[in-house]
Amino acid sequence: MAATSYRVLCGVLGAALLLGGFGLFASFFGYHAPASESPIPTGPVGYYWVATSGCAFVAWGGCLLAASRRPEGGRAAGTWSALGLVMLALIRMVAWIVGDYYVWPGELARTESVVFLLLALAFVWLRPAPTDMRPANVALEQA
Amino acid sequence: MLRWAATLGILGLIALVLALPATSIGRRGTEAASRVDAPTPALALGRPLPELDLVGLDGAPLKLADLRGHRVLLTFERSVDW
Repeated sequence: MAATSYRVLCGVLGAALLLGGFGLFASFFGYHAPASESPIPTGPVGYYWVATSGCAFVAWGGCLLAASRRPEGGRAAGTWSALGLVMLALIRMVAWIVGDYYVWPGELARTESVVFLLLALAFVWLRPAPTDMRPANVALEQA
Repeated sequence: MLRWAATLGILGLIALVLALPATSIGRRGTEAASRVDAPTPALALGRPLPELDLVGLDGAPLKLADLRGHRVLLTFERSVDW
């Protein structure tokens, strides 16, 4: 049951990260296209980092999709994804407290923070148990 | 052990996020909700500025009327404890 849930969690979040990552990557080129209007209220430097984040999201999403196909070997993906989600939540908490971002996303930052923390909690608890990663012949010899 | 520590930490953060609006640090978020760039009648374009009672960098009081006849550039900056 936990393994299936972990596969679904990795698969859904991985696919979302892939789509979002490609979207952020594409937004950089959209911003620099002639006569384009910026959907995100930021400038050239902001889009530089938005696109960089998009590339990292694609890599992260790919790792999660790989973990969803082979969950027994993807325990570390869950651990590091939980840490990444907690960091994303911390950014949103501070953004909400500072208030500079309130006019743009409003309460969204706080809501996202809770969602990311719950996802991190799911990763912590649904990760598969550590497995014996030694090659089979070595494990047999040592047994 | 590590799993429980991570769980407690995450649950603590969730509790903090949910409690933010009720705390003193959370009030900034609520304050900011009113910081929409709405036009202020007293500062409308083409109208004279209202009288300002300020303190200069030398500690001396400064009124807008003291600057009458001079070109004045007013800038508004965010203070450290904003």
